[in-house]
Amino acid sequence: MKITPAEVAALSLSIKVALLSLVIMFPPGLLAGWLLAKRTFPGKSFLNTLVMCPLVLPPIVSGYLLLILLGKHGVIGGFIYRTFGIEIVFSQVAVIIAVSIISFPLLVRGIVTGMASVPLELENTARTLGASPLKVFWTITFPLAHRGIIGGMILGFSKSLGEFGATIMVAGNIPGKTQTMALAIFSAVHLGEDASVYRLVFISTVVAFIALWLTERFTLR
Amino acid sequence: MADNTKIRLDFRKSLDDFTLSVDCTLEAKVSAFLGVSGSGKSTLLNCVSGTLTPDAGEIAFGDEMLYASASGINLPPEKRRFGYVFQEGHLFPHLTVAQNIRYGQPNPRKSSDAIDVLEISELLQRYPKELSGGQRQRVAIARALAMEPRMLLMDEPLAALDSALKDRIIPYLHHVKEVFEIPILYITHAFSEAMTLADEAFLIADGEIMARGEPHRLLTAPAAMRIAQMTGVENILFLPVTASNKTSGVTTLEIGSQSLIIPYIDIGVGEVVPVAIRAEDIIISLEPDIPVSARNILFGQVQYLDVKSERTWLSILVEWHHLAVKITHEAREQLQLKEGSDVYCVMKTSAVNILWN
Repeated sequence: MKITPAEVAALSLSIKVALLSLVIMFPPGLLAGWLLAKRTFPGKSFLNTLVMCPLVLPPIVSGYLLLILLGKHGVIGGFIYRTFGIEIVFSQVAVIIAVSIISFPLLVRGIVTGMASVPLELENTARTLGASPLKVFWTITFPLAHRGIIGGMILGFSKSLGEFGATIMVAGNIPGKTQTMALAIFSAVHLGEDASVYRLVFISTVVAFIALWLTERFTLR
Repeated sequence: MADNTKIRLDFRKSLDDFTLSVDCTLEAKVSAFLGVSGSGKSTLLNCVSGTLTPDAGEIAFGDEMLYASASGINLPPEKRRFGYVFQEGHLFPHLTVAQNIRYGQPNPRKSSDAIDVLEISELLQRYPKELSGGQRQRVAIARALAMEPRMLLMDEPLAALDSALKDRIIPYLHHVKEVFEIPILYITHAFSEAMTLADEAFLIADGEIMARGEPHRLLTAPAAMRIAQMTGVENILFLPVTASNKTSGVTTLEIGSQSLIIPYIDIGVGEVVPVAIRAEDIIISLEPDIPVSARNILFGQVQYLDVKSERTWLSILVEWHHLAVKITHEAREQLQLKEGSDVYCVMKTSAVNILWN
């Protein structure tokens, strides 16, 4: 099995993007997960719906909405273009943004599940022992929720690896630049490059299998 | 207790379908709140600890205001410095015993006296799941003490333990009471715990304090019947000792001209012992000379019968004491019991519980 440089580029871009999006989305994911699992506040169900939206929207729709927002004439994209002279769409940054938005609900879900499983009584006990809410979070809630958090990270990571619809909308399918694994498979199928399709499908399957297996290992006792 | 450790409670808290409303000052070293589940005693403790916010009123420790709805004061739990021991222990499962104890310690490098008092130095490297129920509770108490609290709050710390274990933990609680110079607020549904530990007891029912006083005086108050019903001990008698013999293993109490035999206690003749007997632990017989192993057979008369509930309740006059007895309707019919019937109340020595001595 001989992997071409283009395939390597697609694989490494997918992994790079998935890792970066995980690192970027982890802090807001932790915050959102904590708010949704542990707090009651007005607008909680709205926040939950907002975070989970990309899970139910067709990725192509999310991608289109992002395209409108991030395009040269969009609210965010326009501002950035006028201020820094940078165009976001059809760049690797766009890939990261698309992938982050789509995988965020899975990351948050894992974190919420993990944190909701930590009994309030333990956290209250920690408070009575003199711990501030922040200390309670880092010493009790976070470590006890680690299974759910790791599960969410791995599921989000896998989702990022395979993201297709939103990515192709905002970042296009530029080989060596914005072409991820999923996009490379799409192109290879179109061009009838069967050998390339098999290799890419094989690699994708192995990566997905490993991610899922790791999830099981970390989240099940 | 000094003025600066008085606890002033004057607040109201509504939850779903019930309201807790208290107005009292705790001045004793150990104050016990006695009540059944749902009486509001846990709500009370959570409001004192700060994990629950009352709807209105004030909570003060000495002259420091912890909560005051009028001025918007509400000290968070971590600033109150009250050690809280829960029924289930609530040890942190991912931390060892030593780490649990260090969690709230002001100076984590110093070894806490609590480790010695509760004799847990052998357990320090273990995780909570490797501890027995009794050990877990001792660690929970030590952890609350290690934070050097200004007061100790205990929510049924023994309720999850079986009675043999309870008896082994109670001496530790006494030891804690002696060694640590802090007030203790203890809530329980078990009458005997309130009796043995508390200097003052509060009877709480339906979110209100029904009676307060020294624990044994509380029994003679009109509320005594209420306590008895609440705690499932229907008969509480104060009886003088006529003999106490270690070799035979029994102590004899006088009930009018008859006697009641209880397991041996180290007590002088003439002293008064409070005993508790559950209504269902008393067997009714029409004959005195029945061949049974039970040692106590007291003669009395049925004063009245209550057949309205699923069991027959009898009130039997034994000398000048009324004994509440619970039997089945079937048994009542078979024995043809009616008001004025002469009966014999049969009970095992172990059915007669000594409340404290």
